[in-house]
Amino acid sequence: MPLILKPREPSAQLAPQTGDGLASLASPDEDLRWTAARAAPDIPGSAAPLAAALRKEASPRVREAMFTSLARMGDTAAAVQTLPLLRSDDANLRAGALDALRIMIGNTRELLPPLLQDADVDVRVLSCELVRTLAGGEATALLCEVLQRESDPNVCAAALDVLAEVGQSEALPVLAACALRFQDTPFLAFAFQVTADRINGHSPRNRD
Amino acid sequence: MDTRHATVTEFPPLTEEELDRLGDFLYRRTGMVFAENKRYYTERRIAERMTETGCGSFPIYLARLRSDIGHEIELLINAFTVNETYFYREDHQLQCLTSNLLAERIRGRNKEDSLRIWSVPCSTGEEPYSVAIWLLENWPLVDRYEIEIWGSDIDTRALENCQQGLFGRRALQRLSPALVGKYFTPVDDEHWKILDELRQSVQFSRVNIVEPADMRRHGKFDVIFCRNVLIYFDDASRRVAAENIYENLLPGGFTCLGHTESMSRISPLFEVRRFEDAIVYQRPQGTNHG
Repeated sequence: MPLILKPREPSAQLAPQTGDGLASLASPDEDLRWTAARAAPDIPGSAAPLAAALRKEASPRVREAMFTSLARMGDTAAAVQTLPLLRSDDANLRAGALDALRIMIGNTRELLPPLLQDADVDVRVLSCELVRTLAGGEATALLCEVLQRESDPNVCAAALDVLAEVGQSEALPVLAACALRFQDTPFLAFAFQVTADRINGHSPRNRD
Repeated sequence: MDTRHATVTEFPPLTEEELDRLGDFLYRRTGMVFAENKRYYTERRIAERMTETGCGSFPIYLARLRSDIGHEIELLINAFTVNETYFYREDHQLQCLTSNLLAERIRGRNKEDSLRIWSVPCSTGEEPYSVAIWLLENWPLVDRYEIEIWGSDIDTRALENCQQGLFGRRALQRLSPALVGKYFTPVDDEHWKILDELRQSVQFSRVNIVEPADMRRHGKFDVIFCRNVLIYFDDASRRVAAENIYENLLPGGFTCLGHTESMSRISPLFEVRRFEDAIVYQRPQGTNHG
């Protein structure tokens, strides 16, 4: 057998993470920023400097590593630092923050109710998306509260989109009442109907 | 050989809190998620370990685990890993390796440069040995390059199997009798041992795919097979694993995932490459982080 496969000791080991800790988040060297971003979860108190660096970071690769590190931290401090990025004018930052918060929100759900009442409509819309990660009963309760108080049709549409997927039958009377309030908004009337139909089709209570 | 089907003592079901504590422990150690939806699997594995260690209750076992008596942490992790695989599994990716990926990797390279291929996790060795056999059988340039093949896994018991190179009939089911005859010697009616030359051609090591330092010490690779493991992780661990793989790939290097997995849904760091035989993910050229 002409065997020429020659394993060796790993000759090309990657250098261990080096650099000046969090200070390297501001380095002009993209690789150093990447390394610092990935090491951040092991450094206490790194959520705030990481989120601050994210606002200035131009490299998509480093941004990704920064969001992953915030998600890895996953605690309230990290989530609180990530939340303001939902207000960014940069769509990529908003999307990155949303993805990271989706991972974190299960452990930081106390942050959701105020977020769903934020003064900024866009933040309320994105917050509805975060609810999708919660269990059906909890998500239904939160989104029913949204529908009961919300005046913006786009936020209602976002809430309906999530309810259509995870909503339970407790939402049905709220949907009916809210549909009456928005009866002059045709696209919402359709969304209310679709959501109610889906809940009727997949709600655990109605399956029995 | 797998001893998981030995007689296992029945224990009371884990309470919700016990399941949470165990799930949290495993998550922190492995990145794998074992929650209520995997209660049956979890309780079976714990019952095996409690039987094996003679622990009469879960609290006693947990104390043993926390103190790592008799390397119990490693043994528990071994018990929770899944090692069902076989030679030439998803061989369309192996076809892609020799039809497309290696051609790109050797372009502009010197013959004395080594090509590095990593199977992680490698389970009981079928995948890295499959790569070796496939290259010998299907890549005409196999003699012209120095090729390093690595297999790594978190399960140290599986790694012992890799080193032994002993395989059962099921593992060999996709190999033709001619290939079995060429690369294996029969041990008994049900088991075959891989030839020493081939066994020595693959280097094995322990690695936790969500531990950056663990991954880094393996260096950079041209191709990484990382199949059917990301499905066991939660979103945070998947992202960490994807970034680790990215770091371990040379610029332009490729990673192959399982057929139900999509890197595009995990991380934007890679470019999707669609070849005739497989969809693979490539670390973009010109990213020299190192």
